[in-house]
Amino acid sequence: MNQLNVAVIIKLEPDFSEGNVSYNPDGTLNRADTKNTLGPHSAIAANAAFYAKVKYDAKVSVATMGPPIAETALQMAQKLSDAEELHLYSDRIFAGADTLATAETLKTGIQKMQGKMDIVFSGHRASDGETGQTGPQTAWKLGYPFFGNVLNYEVNVQNKTIRIKRLVSLQGFNDVIEEVEAPLPVFLSVDPSYKSLFNTVSQRISYEKYQKQAKIRSENYKQYLMVFNLQQLGVDPTLVGLPGSPTIVFRVERIPKGKANRQAEVLDSSNPEHIRKAIAKINEALSAMVIK
Amino acid sequence: MEKYDVAIIGGGSAGLAALKQLSNHKKQAVLLEAGNKIGSKNISGGILYSKKLKNGHVHNVEDVYGDIFLREAPVERKIKKYILHATSKDKIYSMDLTAAHEYESNFGYSVLMTKLNSWFAEQAAESAQKFGGGIIPGVHVSSLEWNKKTNTTIVTTDELEEFEVRAIIAADGVNSEIAQISSIPKFTPQQLYQGVKVVVKLPEDIINERFEVESNEGAAHLFAGDVTINHIGGGFLYTNSSTLSVGAVYHFDSLLENPTEPYTLVDSMLRNPMISEFIKDQVPSRRKIDKSLPQEEQLRIRFAITKLLKTWNELRDASLSKGGREELLKSGKYNSEKAINERLSSIQEQLTEKYGVGFVTDYVEVEYGAKLIPDGKRCRMVKPYHKNILFVGDAAGRGIFIGPRIEGLNVGIDDAVRAADAVTRALDRNNFTSNYFGEYYSQSVANSPYTRDMKRIDKDYLKIFLDAAKDIPKDIISAKYGTIIKLMSSDTFRSVAVKLANILGYERLLPIVESEDTFVKVPIEVAKRLGEKVTATYVPSIPSIDDRVAKLKFDDDNTSHIKVLKPQSEFMKKMVTLCPTKCYSLENEQVVLQHEGCIECGTCSHETDWKHPRGEKGIVYEYG
Ligand SMILES: Cc1cc2nc3c(=O)[nH]c(=O)nc-3n(C[C@H](O)[C@H](O)[C@H](O)COP(=O)(O)OP(=O)(O)OC[C@H]3O[C@@H](n4cnc5c(N)ncnc54)[C@H](O)[C@@H]3O)c2cc1C
Ligand code: SF4
Repeated sequence: MNQLNVAVIIKLEPDFSEGNVSYNPDGTLNRADTKNTLGPHSAIAANAAFYAKVKYDAKVSVATMGPPIAETALQMAQKLSDAEELHLYSDRIFAGADTLATAETLKTGIQKMQGKMDIVFSGHRASDGETGQTGPQTAWKLGYPFFGNVLNYEVNVQNKTIRIKRLVSLQGFNDVIEEVEAPLPVFLSVDPSYKSLFNTVSQRISYEKYQKQAKIRSENYKQYLMVFNLQQLGVDPTLVGLPGSPTIVFRVERIPKGKANRQAEVLDSSNPEHIRKAIAKINEALSAMVIK
Repeated sequence: MEKYDVAIIGGGSAGLAALKQLSNHKKQAVLLEAGNKIGSKNISGGILYSKKLKNGHVHNVEDVYGDIFLREAPVERKIKKYILHATSKDKIYSMDLTAAHEYESNFGYSVLMTKLNSWFAEQAAESAQKFGGGIIPGVHVSSLEWNKKTNTTIVTTDELEEFEVRAIIAADGVNSEIAQISSIPKFTPQQLYQGVKVVVKLPEDIINERFEVESNEGAAHLFAGDVTINHIGGGFLYTNSSTLSVGAVYHFDSLLENPTEPYTLVDSMLRNPMISEFIKDQVPSRRKIDKSLPQEEQLRIRFAITKLLKTWNELRDASLSKGGREELLKSGKYNSEKAINERLSSIQEQLTEKYGVGFVTDYVEVEYGAKLIPDGKRCRMVKPYHKNILFVGDAAGRGIFIGPRIEGLNVGIDDAVRAADAVTRALDRNNFTSNYFGEYYSQSVANSPYTRDMKRIDKDYLKIFLDAAKDIPKDIISAKYGTIIKLMSSDTFRSVAVKLANILGYERLLPIVESEDTFVKVPIEVAKRLGEKVTATYVPSIPSIDDRVAKLKFDDDNTSHIKVLKPQSEFMKKMVTLCPTKCYSLENEQVVLQHEGCIECGTCSHETDWKHPRGEKGIVYEYG
């Protein structure tokens, strides 16, 4: 049988929604008082993995590096992807890692998963000050070809190839869709606008079935969870955590407020004269735009 | 092309029951529902009944889902009190109709459709999956093509590849597109009601105390008189676990005659002093944040208040409910109820002292909604089938609305079982000829005791009603009604009068019974003369319709699912008033539609090209 194995790397992030987030008087994030959740981009990556589950009956594994409470993120990701294997890489020594050191940990973990991974997914980036580098660096360490901004994909399980649609910018055009074919394995970083398309009744029935299974599994997620410390993971201590991080954060600066060069005018929506004025402005703006 | 035995179109309570029943018979069926989540497009009052009728058997919800329904279904409260109030300003006269509510019934639970239908869906999907079927949400069926040769139907949707089925159960609700596709005429305004309701949040303990009920038990209050603003119909207030459903149901033709905004009608209920008192609660009121502060500081304060209020709300709701308290204690965060209350006071204090948040008497509305309701007495399909399509529930125009009897859910479930049984029989014999299939179902429905109730007056039920009204001075009744009703109120002549009435037929009787006299004039007169004075201790701050719509969740579609055909017609002009979410406006004598904010109630469907939105799009109710 041609079993497809896919892995997702995810991250626990602060929940920035109103009602959950707290800020210190100096405007920085109050981490202690802010709830944590599965990062929104990680969730999209988990969705992308679920597509492989539904369509190709793939086996899904999820991994993250973080403190013990990061297991809640794994649980949430399992609920989205119906994963059968959850990896948490947790050790004091991993703390303070930059993206490169994180990638080393994740790579080692992925290689320890049951079965060789055909596709590894990551989110576009994290929402708490990350740079979108963990994905590509993990890909590089794994030696997998990397594809960013993936919109959707189809796998040919027999031939072990994948067709990918991805968003690229080409000669100044921002929204060009590129379609590529590659042999597996690959590493895909999923675009925020990624959407799984299930367009037959049978696919939708499997979707519902696996979603339910995922819900049940995630209620018993501990059964699927494996926690690794430095030693258990068998990773080189000089390549992870602070020692493995070449990045030095010198200072974090607040982004200075830009000076507004626009002028606002308050219009009253119940006044037809004002509405006409607004429309005239829009027309003016439209006619000034040159469609390239 | 993929092939399946049965497609069920529409995942309301009727469609879901059909799926469950087919699975009970081990048949394969797929249910297609336009909403992204099952239950997100369903709205009811609502009380779900289970009945034991003396003249025949009906299929009840617990027959379909089994005993697990009684143990686990997320119903709200078992209704133990049923009271009708006649209103005139601050005077209210109350009649206990609990006997009518209990008449021929096993139970009646208050329910919220979003939650309940999603539970039904879990049950039905689990069974259906065993036979290769299931539930597919977010799919809108757009057309059906009948294949004469194979006796099958090809189902086309906006979202999926076409597929083929042998039978269809149309459970797509009152605004059935499947009926339209089958060239069955739309229901007319004379055959419909418009229902509108709001869900009001109120902690469990307060409900228990205020309505004098045990936890899990509840009360239903019905209203007629001046709350109706002279429309034929009435208002209701049902207790749920930790919310109240407050709404009104009026004859659509009565609304067309004298158009009043649906929200004005529901507001009239909320402003009634008895209801104002029922819904009141302690509500935080935020102070405006000082705009002279730096913007970041303003934002920080706003976030801090939101967070504290969220905690306060959650903790207060939990502390005022039995289950919530138990859970808090079990979590280990608090070691006594006293500790919970202390924490609550300290948050409250912090809100007041640090952020100037006040706490006032008001009410909290969490959802507004509306929908047309078919009056089974006037619009049930005589032959609820077309080729291999069987119609059930609201789609078949079935529902019992007689006096205080409001039953659509249980009737739809009974239909669904009959349809599923007819499909099973046809699949077993592979015989879908109209005689063996459609006609069989049609007969089964005709024989349902519910159909009988849509056609005839039940004198025992009437007696309960008249007994409850025995203190009402005869002259009020005599002045308004003809001989037949007068005879009915006499014990000696009731049987004869009911027989006579049934000979006359509902068609001729209804205009007398369902009249302004019944719903407006008599109750006002009764309240004026016999009513007690009720005063409200505050004035509820009722949100504007714009605020109500802003609070609803929509998945907006950029194209409209409704096309205005006659922008200058009298009917369409009335939609400017009667659309519950103000989607219509008049510009230069032309009616213009803005479809964003449409809650798919169907009110405007009579003279428009009306379809449901594409799958996943449109209204997403959270309570329903
Ligand atoms: C205010 C109010 C109060 C009421 N009070 C009560 C009460 O107290 N007791 C009682 O028993 N009844 C009451 N009713 C009536 C009861 O709610 C209805 O009879 C019942 O909900 C109808 O169920 P249904 O499954 O037939 O239709 P619906 O619940 O309307 O379900 C139809 C479903 O079909 C879907 N659909 C439609 N077209 C398509 C398509 N083309 N493709 C895919 N999906 C589609 C819709 O999204 C919807 O989910 C009340 C109704 C209202 C509005
Ligand atoms: S536009 Fe029509 S269907 Fe939509 S809410 Fe208004 S009346 Fe109802």
